[in-house]
Amino acid sequence: MLNSLTYFRKNKPMRQEPSIDYAEQIQYAFDHIHHIYSDPLEVGIILGTGLGQLIQNIDIIKEIPYDEIPYFPVSTVESHHGRLIIGKLSGRTVLAMQGRFHYYEGYSMKEVTFPVRVMKKLGIQHLFVSNAAGGLNPDYGIGELMIINDHIDLFPENPLRGKNLDELGVRFPDMSEPYDLKLVENGIEIAKENGLKVHQGVYAAVQGPNLETKAEYKYLRTIGADAIGMSTIPEVIVARHMDLPVFAISAITDLCSPGNVKKISISEVLAAAAIAEPGMSLIIRELIKTL
Amino acid sequence: MGKILNLQQCRESAAFISKRIDGVPKVGIILGSGLGGLVYDIESPNIIPYAEIPHFPASTVEGHKGELIYGFLKGSPVIAMAGRFHYYEGYDMAEVVFPIRVMKLLGVEKLIVTNAAGGLSPDFEAGDLMLIEDIISLLPDNPLRGLNEEEFGPRFPDMSEPFDAEWSERIKSKAVELQIKLKSGTYIGLTGPSLESKAEINYCRIIGGDAVGMSTVPEVIAANHLGLKVLGISVITNESIPKIAKEFTHADVVDVAQRSGRKLVELVKGILN
Repeated sequence: MLNSLTYFRKNKPMRQEPSIDYAEQIQYAFDHIHHIYSDPLEVGIILGTGLGQLIQNIDIIKEIPYDEIPYFPVSTVESHHGRLIIGKLSGRTVLAMQGRFHYYEGYSMKEVTFPVRVMKKLGIQHLFVSNAAGGLNPDYGIGELMIINDHIDLFPENPLRGKNLDELGVRFPDMSEPYDLKLVENGIEIAKENGLKVHQGVYAAVQGPNLETKAEYKYLRTIGADAIGMSTIPEVIVARHMDLPVFAISAITDLCSPGNVKKISISEVLAAAAIAEPGMSLIIRELIKTL
Repeated sequence: MGKILNLQQCRESAAFISKRIDGVPKVGIILGSGLGGLVYDIESPNIIPYAEIPHFPASTVEGHKGELIYGFLKGSPVIAMAGRFHYYEGYDMAEVVFPIRVMKLLGVEKLIVTNAAGGLSPDFEAGDLMLIEDIISLLPDNPLRGLNEEEFGPRFPDMSEPFDAEWSERIKSKAVELQIKLKSGTYIGLTGPSLESKAEINYCRIIGGDAVGMSTVPEVIAANHLGLKVLGISVITNESIPKIAKEFTHADVVDVAQRSGRKLVELVKGILN
């Protein structure tokens, strides 16, 4: 006899042919997780490339692999694991994504942001996002941190395109303050108190997956970006659509300012992320205490 | 969500071409709008229409033929694409870069990409040749989006030097030697097919473009992913905004490109021996 999980895996609906609408897919994913853990969840956390260490600070209650969650996409990047972690961090119940979905992997923006929809439905009150980013601001150094205070969306697709789900948010969500400025301020304060070098700045996102040319870095700097990456903005747009306060932080993993650009590999990015990781974990842990 | 392209299809195309040409091309050449004249310089040409090659898309633009020509230029075995595939024609990016991947499988190590481009730099005049030193992609899709095909290249290819420095230097010296004026700059790739508005030209200039066109960028990204050494040259077909006095048509582009095409052919031949 098949157990229910095996049965589900065999019969898991194909992502390419959604037979039910988006709101129902969110509901199914919610039901699955809620069935495993039904107490209130307070904080959502999305961990970026090479920044999974924060997980070690979480007192894990449950781990749920993405491939067991109905309609959840499956992560394809080597350095991303692909599971939801429920646990205690700084006295709060957190829901952390270990492994995220990127547009360059081929997912639609609806798929990229699906987990954020599910997290909100599960009750999170704040979203924390981390990423690895290239530093465009000439003041930035490898392994340093940048708290994101604004962003520039250069993706060719928007997760909110299509019929608006009014029960989730408004048709034209405001983006004048996508990042909670109180959290930004507190984050800077925490960094100072702990002697961490931290910047605040504008994160621009492009689709990738190739790294940018020097001419592109110059262009991105010209239009006002301090750091550049391939993630975060879709999740933030969706979070703000649902009026979820967001705190986001980048680990500067390579330098993209004029004269500093050199050939870079993913292993160097991961090494730089590892340098930044302890400080980033600390800021997030301390910030969660203030909520 | 499929692979970024079907490796098997590339292999089948390459196997078909290999059988037909009986040789191993080392240099691939993409001939842009109006630059097809180079094919007449290829010795012992072996012409294969795209339509005969399994899985090859077919070119739809006037001024582009749709043939693969294998032969020799100054003794080097080359394979030239007379007619390329543009995103604006409706192909997806995997189709646009398909021939580059096939060329790689055929044995190509270096790629010469040419195009006709609009001039943004005030230093450029219609008919100038521009060595492409860098690119800015403003295209809404990327040929590498989707699952990565490791056999072709890494997930996150570096683009800090998309064009081969040594080859670029060689063509600059050749230009001096042959007394051909060769300018250099950054090429911006847009979708098109509408030509740019004056405001868009201004925007492209502000962000650092010297020339703007509707091709090349996807091919250069795919070539870098494959580890090919790339050389890029634009024929500037019109001048930047302050000088634009009349409407520009595709016929004008082809006309200018053909007139400058000769210089380009001499330069390309000059670096191949």
